[in-house]
Amino acid sequence: MSKSICVLPCNGLDKCAGDLSRRVAMQVAQSEEVELICPVLLNQNKSRYEKALEAGDLTVIDGCNTRCASKLAGALEIPIKEKVNVSEVAKALDIKLGVEIREDQETQAVVQAVLEKINSSAADQAESEFIVPEAIEYNTFSHGKFIFKVPKANYFFNENDCWVTVSGNMARIGVSDYVQQNLSDILYVDPPEIGQEFEQFDDLGSIESGKAVFEIISPVTGTVVAVNMGLNDAPELVNESPYEKGWLVEVNLKDFEEDQDLLHDSQSYFEFLQRKVAEVDV
Amino acid sequence: MSESTFMGVERDQIDWSPRIDFTKCNDCMECVKFCPHQVFEVDENAKPKLKVKNPNNCVVFCRACSKTCGPDAITFPDKTETTKMIKAIRKAEKEASTDE
Repeated sequence: MSKSICVLPCNGLDKCAGDLSRRVAMQVAQSEEVELICPVLLNQNKSRYEKALEAGDLTVIDGCNTRCASKLAGALEIPIKEKVNVSEVAKALDIKLGVEIREDQETQAVVQAVLEKINSSAADQAESEFIVPEAIEYNTFSHGKFIFKVPKANYFFNENDCWVTVSGNMARIGVSDYVQQNLSDILYVDPPEIGQEFEQFDDLGSIESGKAVFEIISPVTGTVVAVNMGLNDAPELVNESPYEKGWLVEVNLKDFEEDQDLLHDSQSYFEFLQRKVAEVDV
Repeated sequence: MSESTFMGVERDQIDWSPRIDFTKCNDCMECVKFCPHQVFEVDENAKPKLKVKNPNNCVVFCRACSKTCGPDAITFPDKTETTKMIKAIRKAEKEASTDE
């Protein structure tokens, strides 16, 4: 039978967090639909797993923030459907893993929490209340072989190249065309949690290409009400349509007037970006 | 590269850059590899090897390097305090320019 999920864990030989990712992977792989991917063999011979990866979605289990498993998938340009980081789960549980490999109640609790995270389907989210504008017009400028787009109006930007566009009390957040061109092919979108409250300039998850990870720095203060589920299957929408179909997070605004104090409007960001691109080698 | 201002405020007036806890740092240099803005410098002959060489190159509110740090040795200043400070400087500058 064809397997529908591939699990790529941290190699997990020398440290506690790695060992836990290995333990999680072994448990997940007990299901018949799951194919376990050995990171060492994958690195050596990608073709060995080509069929499995074509048939199934990839779940990555990183042990620590060195994120070897994620980086391996990125380097081999394998799109990641889901990922989980053992150290972050442990941190959320207030459990210090340390270096030494151990089998006790604490590590068992972390394994359990990671398994739950992998098994839980995406959080329920309400129907989007955001009213999408009919058509968006763009200003463009070119620099070398690159052409950069910025909407003509109704988008606001922070200097971290994240945008917000507002409809009543709701807003959508995403990254500018400049960011997606810098990152090139986006392989994974790590969304924030639904219901999460955040302040202006807090991070709202990240997006990742084979080249780098980009932290989404929120242009506004608010609460997460939805994330763009379409990006689960098609993270490339951020590349293809960074201001429209590739939106990242939908939020309930707290005080947009206050937020605007530290934001550029469309025209001002267009000028800011031209200065920035002139300074940097893209 | 270095943006010389952030939202109109001179970059060197904003205290935003990584702080390294050398009791945790394991010299893996992932942060150095990660940061495209030459914030860090490595001196193989110094102890510690890692140094925050160009704090003002650090993108204000970016904390991405801290997430690449396996041993969790990098922290940043308080974001809310920093935001407050930037707003206060902008306000003061605005008032100064209307007084003239």
